Amino acid sequence: MPALSRLLAVLVLAGLLAPAQSPQDRSGATAHAGAAARLMQERRYAEAAGEYERSLALDAANDAIRIEYATCLFAQERDQDARAQFETEIKRLGEQPGLSYYLAQLDIRVSKSEEAIRRLKPLTANAAFPKASFYLGVAYFLAGQQTLALRALEQAARDIPADPEVHYRLGRVYMLADRAADGDREFDLFRQAQQARRFVEETGHACMEALRTQPIERARAVCGRIADSHDPQRMLWLGELYASHGAHAEALGPLRTAAQLAPQSFDAWHNLGRSLCLLKRYGEAVPALQKAAALNPGYFDTLNLLAAALHASGDDAAALPVLERAHALNPADTVVAVALERMRAERSAAAPRH
Amino acid sequence: MSMNRRDLLILLAGFAATAGARAPVGMASRGIAPQRRGAPSGRPFHATFHDVGVAAGLRHPVTSGSAGHVDYIVESMGCGIAFLDYDNDGWLDIFVLSGTRRGAPAGENTNRLYRNNRDGTFTDVTREAGLTHQGWSYGVTVGDFDNDGFDDIFITQWGQNILYHNNGDGTFSDVTRRAGLLSPEPRWGTGCTWVDYNRDGLLDLFVSHYLWFDFESVPPTGKNPDCNYLGIPVYFGPRGLPPERCQLYRNNGDGTFTDVTKSAGVDLAAPGYGLTAVSVDYEGSGWPDIQVASDSTPSLLFCNQRDGRLVERGVELGAALNEDGKEQAGMGLAVGDFENSGALGFLKTHFSEDTVGLYRNAGPGGFEDVAMRAGLGVETRYVSWGAGIQDFDNDGLPDIFWATGGVYPEIERARADQPFKTPRVLFRNLGSGKFEQLLDLAGPAIQEAHCSRGVAFGDFDNDGDVDILIMNVNETPSLLRNDVVGGGHWLKVKLVGVKSNRSAIGATVIATYGGQHQAQALSAQSSYLSVNDRRLHFGLGSALTADLEIRWPSGAKEKISGVAADRLVTVREGEGIVKAETFSSASGRG
Repeated sequence: MPALSRLLAVLVLAGLLAPAQSPQDRSGATAHAGAAARLMQERRYAEAAGEYERSLALDAANDAIRIEYATCLFAQERDQDARAQFETEIKRLGEQPGLSYYLAQLDIRVSKSEEAIRRLKPLTANAAFPKASFYLGVAYFLAGQQTLALRALEQAARDIPADPEVHYRLGRVYMLADRAADGDREFDLFRQAQQARRFVEETGHACMEALRTQPIERARAVCGRIADSHDPQRMLWLGELYASHGAHAEALGPLRTAAQLAPQSFDAWHNLGRSLCLLKRYGEAVPALQKAAALNPGYFDTLNLLAAALHASGDDAAALPVLERAHALNPADTVVAVALERMRAERSAAAPRH
Repeated sequence: MSMNRRDLLILLAGFAATAGARAPVGMASRGIAPQRRGAPSGRPFHATFHDVGVAAGLRHPVTSGSAGHVDYIVESMGCGIAFLDYDNDGWLDIFVLSGTRRGAPAGENTNRLYRNNRDGTFTDVTREAGLTHQGWSYGVTVGDFDNDGFDDIFITQWGQNILYHNNGDGTFSDVTRRAGLLSPEPRWGTGCTWVDYNRDGLLDLFVSHYLWFDFESVPPTGKNPDCNYLGIPVYFGPRGLPPERCQLYRNNGDGTFTDVTKSAGVDLAAPGYGLTAVSVDYEGSGWPDIQVASDSTPSLLFCNQRDGRLVERGVELGAALNEDGKEQAGMGLAVGDFENSGALGFLKTHFSEDTVGLYRNAGPGGFEDVAMRAGLGVETRYVSWGAGIQDFDNDGLPDIFWATGGVYPEIERARADQPFKTPRVLFRNLGSGKFEQLLDLAGPAIQEAHCSRGVAFGDFDNDGDVDILIMNVNETPSLLRNDVVGGGHWLKVKLVGVKSNRSAIGATVIATYGGQHQAQALSAQSSYLSVNDRRLHFGLGSALTADLEIRWPSGAKEKISGVAADRLVTVREGEGIVKAETFSSASGRG
């Protein structure tokens, strides 16, 4: 499952939750949360945690922000702190798949296997959590239930055959179960999956070098080796590589495929929308960015782009609330502030007078 | 196990965020946060350590590049250290390896041999012994390769490895060329261990290599923009430099060796950044396997096929990677029976922000990392090197020690939270598979901060406990004298092979005492590129006797019942105990 969307899958439910607070507190909390989201994107987790804490200090009842904060703590392996935040949300919202998914991983880290099994069992059929069977297998193994561990890990190997970790774990459990032939088969798959991952990494570096130094026609021959029309992750990487070097037209195909294969991927939709915007294909950009914004409502860049695309498409009525949300997330951005002021003025001027 | 921070960083980074990123450099680490510490057990610990190194005469610093700055990875890896009894007087002598400094005048730095004066002090006899040598030394293994009754020394180097033959008169001769051990081209040898892999009674030689390096083609610190840690320029490697392969030499029995790397199948193992090498019979089959801790590449476990071939099965047996199937920065290896199960497990040390690996022997299925379950995950702050599984307080439960030290001295000038010199780590065994870190209960020497690498364990003052010898980068070695007061009984076992190699390297001894069964391996290298006292030390707790089962490298088994505690017994293969000695200065139950 691609990049940021994996972490943020849990936030889908949070995005639907309406905070209750004073407008002043809400705007301050939203600004801190927006800053945190940007810091998360830049992998500055400790600073992001600080911004989330400031946000929650102003708006303690904001479930969406608390869940983002919890995932930020999870990313830093501040396990006890992350658990406390996730459990607060379980108390407030009841059991939710996204919360259970992360709590189960925390359970496994402290060998609370029975608890992890309880949380993970219902998730194995949920496509939003493709690695749930893997964690369930790990939990069963920790609990000493080797047969069930094997069953879950075998399911995981079918669900995510490109993940080397799954084959390694399954191979190890086969070995410990005295099934060396099955173990050897999994270790072969483990090595193949590792090799495939390494190939993508190496090709990615070669692709970047080619994009830096060669005409796009030649670079395409190098970068195209990354493409795998069945693998959303590889298609996303390829699209992002093109986009990061300004080859937005080249990026569209891979990003579209990535978004089709993994419709829950925030990164795929966001990057697709961004490239379309930069190619001035605003009408096509709007639906992609709307999907990205639905998956991650707290990300300033997406809202900024979406507002721009809507405005360029002539739909200021739709653009204005989006720009307002973007401004709330990052009040320090003067370009957005000026654009918002102008749009409000224009809307006000255009409104019928009584 | 579950997704960790580093995985998440990578995922979150995506590929676009790495525009301008390059292949990873430096050493592998999981970026793992420590486990939460539990409440102290409150149980007494009977061992106390004091560093008596300088007072004992270990006055020469070990050189490893320039202090405070590292330009090249060869200056950073430090070296091993050895306890040996080169003159067979029953007292442990010390062999200290050394690196050098680019442009250092000849003779400024050398490996050193210190003779034990039998009064707690040592005399530097390097020159008299003919062991003066300046170069980049890394690993050492000690064993009697020609079965003449005197321990010989093999050292690995960046450049050419050296075999020193012990002449039996206090001197050594460099016999590398005559033995056929000169490499056709300079390589970076690191791990090395004597091992009788074909059970012909002659010690063969296994060598691991770290990576391909030369000063001309590898850019120094600051010249490669990829090489930075926490934003500060650091040296290049290991990742990004070509990994190396291992080598096996068969002892021909006439003072020469034949390179059998290919015919034994050792060349089939994937190249890696090999460091400490250990030969040990994990299966109890009577045939030694060979294990290599590898840095940032899969560690290796060569399984003896009993027909002259070794097959590398580290991944399959769970000895190569962490539980997530990822490489770790394997530096040191300690072999021991930390569960008193009668089977040998091991400890592998790693980089900072990672746990050490503590592997229990799960039988034919291989090994299971129980570091977190054992409570070792509370300590992830330091880069970890030489290590041992030893019963320091003679309570009958093997404890765990490892030395630590940074690799980038430049970092601490900018980041006070990233010290180059760091304390030692000691975990006491609580029984039932649980360990507890002793931060301030075991004497001042545990808390003292140094940048350390090799560690050797042995009883240098013959007082019935295990002392610790530590190589410190650009400092004098530390000699941590262990003073056990009120601890349990103990038993030391010295083995002399007859059909087996005379040093009995590869033997396993299982001691049964007070309802416990503890296995120990007699190895020729472990910890980090270092060599321990070959007299195996068993703490016995309150037991006054122990039964011994000896599995000789020849495949023979021998059982000796009711061996009295608090003494050193010498067992000759096939003859039982041929000598029993008590120590006049021995500690015991106070």
